[in-house]
Amino acid sequence: MSEVESPQINRRTTRSSSSSSTPNAKSTIEASKKVDITQTLSVNDLLYGYPSITFGELIDSFPGRRSQINELVNHLGPLNSPMIPLFVYGGPSTGKTNIILQIFRFLNRPFVYASCVSCYSPRLLFESILNQVFLHRKHVGNGYSSVKRCEKPSDFVHLLREGLATLIESLKGQMRKSSHKKSSSRVNGNMIYLIFDNLELVREWEKSSSTLSLLFNLYDILKMAEVGVIFVSNASPDMYQSDTGYAEPFPVYIPGFTEDDLRQIFMRNQANPKLYSSFLDMVLKPFCRITRQVDELATVFSPLFKKYCEPLDDLGAVPNEVTKRKLFSHLQPCISLYLNEASSITSQPLVMTSVNKERTWRKGITKKFGDESLDEIDFHMSTSAKYLLISAFLASRNPATLDAALFDSTGGPDNRKRKRKSSEKLMEQKESKEQELLNKGPGTFPLERLLAIFQCITYVLEYSSDYELQSGDLGGEYCGSSFMSDIVLQLSSLCSANFITKGGSCPLEGSIRYRSTISEDFASKFVGHSTKGEAMEQRISLEIVMLA
Amino acid sequence: MCSENHAEQAQIIIRRRLCSPSFIFSIFSDSPNSNYRNYVYIPLSHYYADPLASLYFSSHHFTFSKLKYIVSSSVTEACNNSVLLLGPRGCGKNAVLELVLEDLSKEHPDLISVIRLNGLLHSDDSCALKEIARQLCIEHQLLFSKMASSDDNTQFLVSMLQECGFAHKTIIFVLNEFDRFAQGKQRLLYSLLDAMQSVTSQAVVIGVSCRLMTSDEYAVYKVEPPFDLDADQLLEKRIRSRFSHRKLVFLPLSPDDLHRLLEHILLLPTDASLPHDYVAAFNAKLLHILADEKFKGLIDVLSYPDSTVCDLSRFLFSAVCRMDSNPGFLSLENFKAALPSVQRQPKMGGLNDCSVLELYILVCMKRLEVKELELCNFNSIMKEYKSIHDTFQTSDYYAWNVCLRAFEHLLQRGLISFEDNRGHLQSSEFRPVKLLISWQELQQGLKSHLCCPVLLHKLMDRGN
Repeated sequence: MSEVESPQINRRTTRSSSSSSTPNAKSTIEASKKVDITQTLSVNDLLYGYPSITFGELIDSFPGRRSQINELVNHLGPLNSPMIPLFVYGGPSTGKTNIILQIFRFLNRPFVYASCVSCYSPRLLFESILNQVFLHRKHVGNGYSSVKRCEKPSDFVHLLREGLATLIESLKGQMRKSSHKKSSSRVNGNMIYLIFDNLELVREWEKSSSTLSLLFNLYDILKMAEVGVIFVSNASPDMYQSDTGYAEPFPVYIPGFTEDDLRQIFMRNQANPKLYSSFLDMVLKPFCRITRQVDELATVFSPLFKKYCEPLDDLGAVPNEVTKRKLFSHLQPCISLYLNEASSITSQPLVMTSVNKERTWRKGITKKFGDESLDEIDFHMSTSAKYLLISAFLASRNPATLDAALFDSTGGPDNRKRKRKSSEKLMEQKESKEQELLNKGPGTFPLERLLAIFQCITYVLEYSSDYELQSGDLGGEYCGSSFMSDIVLQLSSLCSANFITKGGSCPLEGSIRYRSTISEDFASKFVGHSTKGEAMEQRISLEIVMLA
Repeated sequence: MCSENHAEQAQIIIRRRLCSPSFIFSIFSDSPNSNYRNYVYIPLSHYYADPLASLYFSSHHFTFSKLKYIVSSSVTEACNNSVLLLGPRGCGKNAVLELVLEDLSKEHPDLISVIRLNGLLHSDDSCALKEIARQLCIEHQLLFSKMASSDDNTQFLVSMLQECGFAHKTIIFVLNEFDRFAQGKQRLLYSLLDAMQSVTSQAVVIGVSCRLMTSDEYAVYKVEPPFDLDADQLLEKRIRSRFSHRKLVFLPLSPDDLHRLLEHILLLPTDASLPHDYVAAFNAKLLHILADEKFKGLIDVLSYPDSTVCDLSRFLFSAVCRMDSNPGFLSLENFKAALPSVQRQPKMGGLNDCSVLELYILVCMKRLEVKELELCNFNSIMKEYKSIHDTFQTSDYYAWNVCLRAFEHLLQRGLISFEDNRGHLQSSEFRPVKLLISWQELQQGLKSHLCCPVLLHKLMDRGN
């Protein structure tokens, strides 16, 4: 219950419990349970984690980050000292956010945290910050509404200034009180810090440039010495472009982990450190050549370690040289497999907006990797949809001028004759075409062409199945023109599955053009997996692929 | 223990100063010394109809007094005025302006009301008019109606201008990020300037912008008619004719000014709560550092690319943050350590974080670039990668999928980017990409990388 009713506290609790470095996550959860919805929030709720940690614990919880933490703590400075805006950047999963939050836990200073992931539009960002500044909590009583409706930057700055002024005033009041007698407040100092996390996402918003220049200039606009601004971002400062420019915040770079750091990180919280260390001796080096991101390595290592432990009876035992060698030979073949397959697991959002469906498909494979081999995967897709997909692939990969030669029954032999005549010239042509395909990618095609190819393929299929005297009822289904509406439906479902994308309409013809996104690899596998009795068709399509 | 406490207090004092522009620039307002009044004056009156049209390239001192003169003449002579303050971001345009306004409101209490608008916040016309009305209401203790329409607000503005004109009160409009107001229809500027002309008002419009000339900012001394002032050129004709062409352009700090500024910021005050002997020791040590040739070298390195006051204060802030609390004094080492943190090279950091596979891809791209192919995308990179593998039989040959993942990491790091933002329908392996680092940067990055294969060095050297 309390988790739903106190979203703000809940957020911080989940953050702290998710980080392995906080030993007292449990007590924070208990603290949040005590919170009653009718009780108003106090400045204490702007703190992170309770009880606070010492500097030693802070350093220990982040291996290989001593100098960065020192720099950040120095920049935040002694109590009640203003600071110029800070820009913390570094690759994904280097611990930027966690370091900042734990530093604030160590310092016990109040802060306002807004991540541009959950606040995906200016309005949500503004309102989330204002809610925290005004110590407002969404609950049933107020219909989960924000403290103020705020969309325009001018309103935001106006309200923010107002809210911060009262907040700082109350902090100062508390400071005065606590100097007389011990008060209940745990808050240190009268500075308020605004933390903007995942700032790189703002670049993709609508009106991104005006929002970015607002955020970067926020410190100058507010002109309040008691406010500190901290940006946390994946992207380096030179990747932000703005037409008005901005006073550059102070950059602090969090570098990627070295191999030694990674070893330290993976060795933490291990049940059998000796065993895991011998495992890391084997895997860490080859995988570090591919990537040094902790999250990606962790996803690969956990199944590998299971595999590694398979021959062992007792997981607690300290491995000796003989068992190590045995385990090594057991794991060796898996490593190269995982090197080339498993690292395609995507834990980060892909850069592309139109995500290739194929990748998700491959993800499925790697998940099931242990049980099934590649060939046994079946596509749960109707046969006509498969043919449609193949036709789309052919239409995308081949120029329209080749269609007649490919599908006309008399075209085939002619083509072969020409090939024999000037094979060198053809080879050259083929190479240049290949090059073009590499560069341009799959082409677009109108609906009519797709349907024509589809008709041709199904016609061939029907012909071949008649010829081979196989179950004709299966093949007969496709060629009838009465199924056309059904096929258009199939096409739209393929589009929504992202196998085929809908392009913009052609300026000359005005009709919508399509493009197939599946790769050659995928298509040929796919053809291989088609149901029986399609050997002929399979051969055709493969031949066409070769021709292209 | 005691000295640590002092050091912390000293640090807080200097940090406060660095974070308050009004303190930093206050040296330009006191005791106008004729030595510092250097400026270049270019009359523009024969280019424009306005006899006051002019262009000043001036030091902070001169700008301060000139601006003060313009605004105060409007107050005393009851006339309208307008001026543009131009200069690179962080050179202290706003701070100087604020100091002028503060001075004037002391000299003429109750005669000046300041309306501040920011182009980042109020570039929307109706929003800006509303903000003007709101601030006018607060200044004159009137009731502000949130529901008032844009027309109402314009009406209100005109009548307020008139009333203030009758009462000999000056309204000063400060338009920060002036270029933002010059976008779109420019209705706000028109209605403001038109209202000032049509009624007997007494107002000053001060535009502040960092948009300078499109060409080199300071080479303008030689350019004959300096027409291409950007923020000015953005204005519509009907507005340009109503706006005076008086511009004050900030010059970078002279070495003398810089030295004075450093002392102004860093020397501790003797009248503070700190004990006298600590302050004396701190200041003596600091003056010693400031006179040091090595320190001057550092400042030269810092001000070589550009030298706005903002950059300087960032550098000083970083140095002060590094101050050790045990001796409690600033040392030359603090300043030395601060320099690289201010002048970070984000690309080099990104290069050092690359894995070996990512380095391979970068080198492949560089080789393709040297070959001058018309187009480079992931597939052509993979072809190059495969050919390298075929020739040298490297151990680092990975599947297509793994490489694509590494490719995406590179995109994320900002070392490479897509050529265009169009073509979102294409999957990423077909979209053309370009390398964002130079040959030298890549070579340097490979050298400083911890585990870069020897083969890559060889390939780079050969390509060159």
